Amino acid sequence: MNTQRRSLPISREVGFAFAALGVVLLVGALFNANGLFFKPETHALALWAVSGYGILACGMTVVILTAGIDLSVGSLVALSGVVFAQCTMEAELSGWVALPAAVLVGAACGLVSGMLVALLRLQPFIATLAMMAFARGLAKTLTGGVKVQKMPPPESIEALNARFPILGVDVSVSVFLFLGCVLLTVFFLRALRFGRYVYAIGDNEEASRLSGVPVRLTKILAYVMCGAFAGLAGVLFAAVERQGNPDAGLAYELTAIAMVVVGGTSLMGGRGGVVLTVLGALTIGYLRKILDINGVPTAQQLMITGGIIVLAVLVQSLRRE
Amino acid sequence: MGISVQIRRALPAVLAALTAFGCGGGADYEWMIGYSQCNRAEPWRQQMDADIEAHTAEHPEIKLIMKDAQNESFRQIAHVKEFISQEVDVLIISPKDTSLTQVVAEAHQAGIPVIVLDRAVEGDQFTCFIGSDNRKIGAEVGKWVVERLGGKGNVVELQGLASSVPSGHRSEPFRAALEGTEIEIIFAADMEWLSELAREKMLAALQRNPEPNSIQLVYGANDPAAIAAFNAARDLGREEEMIFVGVDALPHEGIEAVKNGILDATFLYPNGADVAIDSAVKIHAGETVPNEIVLGTRLYTPENVEQGGLPLD
Repeated sequence: MNTQRRSLPISREVGFAFAALGVVLLVGALFNANGLFFKPETHALALWAVSGYGILACGMTVVILTAGIDLSVGSLVALSGVVFAQCTMEAELSGWVALPAAVLVGAACGLVSGMLVALLRLQPFIATLAMMAFARGLAKTLTGGVKVQKMPPPESIEALNARFPILGVDVSVSVFLFLGCVLLTVFFLRALRFGRYVYAIGDNEEASRLSGVPVRLTKILAYVMCGAFAGLAGVLFAAVERQGNPDAGLAYELTAIAMVVVGGTSLMGGRGGVVLTVLGALTIGYLRKILDINGVPTAQQLMITGGIIVLAVLVQSLRRE
Repeated sequence: MGISVQIRRALPAVLAALTAFGCGGGADYEWMIGYSQCNRAEPWRQQMDADIEAHTAEHPEIKLIMKDAQNESFRQIAHVKEFISQEVDVLIISPKDTSLTQVVAEAHQAGIPVIVLDRAVEGDQFTCFIGSDNRKIGAEVGKWVVERLGGKGNVVELQGLASSVPSGHRSEPFRAALEGTEIEIIFAADMEWLSELAREKMLAALQRNPEPNSIQLVYGANDPAAIAAFNAARDLGREEEMIFVGVDALPHEGIEAVKNGILDATFLYPNGADVAIDSAVKIHAGETVPNEIVLGTRLYTPENVEQGGLPLD
């Protein structure tokens, strides 16, 4: 019963999300900057640019499906990036130690947010707003407020920026990690009981509780997942910048939320999914790339992005009628 | 409850210990400088603080008291008032903005010599203003670029946040210096002082100019932008085609990048810490100092970086 109710509307929602992405790609084809848009390299770079934000958006999707929100992911990007940079540049640890350490730091912050929400019943907005401030402060404390950098950067950092040729196009490691996160999230939401609980809680928390869903544990896990993904994204952002910047990731949570919403996942919880979020992430990412290669100034880019978000969400709301 | 009572009981002892420690176990200093920093959270200002400390340390007779206002006007105003009631001998202030004008005047009227560093206050109720000149830096960058490129080539300019004053000051004189040459700015974008945005804009510049050697030089309005541009070019395997120029020359950033062959040049945006301490010493000795001191810049290139750069006054 559950699957039936979910699978049918989802496929229609995916169609709408594809339409939004299609419109953006069409714009790209029309304003192709002298054919630049048709070069494979442009798409490889667009995917690279989108992958960090996309990973944030995957975790954000799970939290939003529980009718929650996580405002702390931007600060977690800074925190985990700083931890990763300190491990590789200052402690000179291997990337195989530094990366899990940074992801764990993100997960630990997610655990705290989750416990504040699930056990102390703080509103997700408030709990993660507090974590946003705390994690930013922690990142600044760890570094004394300055950037962590080393020139030339350690090998583990350059390894994360490596690109591998696939069908003649150089695809970066970040893109593979983004894909991995998407598959992991799909697996969690579709194949595990956890996924059913997430949707059930977002749909009706009280009813789920009464029917025996472990509401608190599920919520905590959702925030842990979001935090861990933010930790991974933070590592990738730090790698691409070749520095751990305690001021990195400002307002990234808003980009992640926009990607989720443009995809068509409801902020009220219970409706949507990570495939939609991927489409939303690509829509926003491609829009940015197309504006960039056409040399549109930042000021106008912001206006156009605002317009597109409203348009995409309006289209999404049509499908419910 | 119990803990807070304990803290309150312990407080006088802690304060006494701190005071004793701060005085070095007795009054072995002759005079005091009160130093009010508006925001220690910026790398450039952290360097300013470190330089102020280092230059004060050359004068063991001076006791330095530093306060960080954490980018809040009211906090900095309170700090200056504290310095006035402490009767410091010289006040050095790097004000957050002109909201400090009145309290700076109060200090001046209380007979405390005031050195205003970097950002200006209104009026003339202070002893000496020490500031840098971004226009001069922009012009020097332009002059250097014309010379380095032999008057010909394509340039990418990554500008600072358009609404911030230094952005225009570092850009307009730079562009003016290129006039009449065959150097063309083929791509310019606002990176808003954010290195991640500088990267995106640079990638766009590279993609719009895909032919090898279609870009000769990248000018970043600060070093992080120039370094981010280098990294972007490197990720596309094109960093060897062009050279990168930045501004600020912080020791662990721009200068380090010049030493590592990332930047071909960086121009110092001086913080004036050395001049401020020198002036404070002169004022205390009864000498007069100019009402306004404009700091010159300094060029660092791979050739001169080990020798401490080339002063451009």
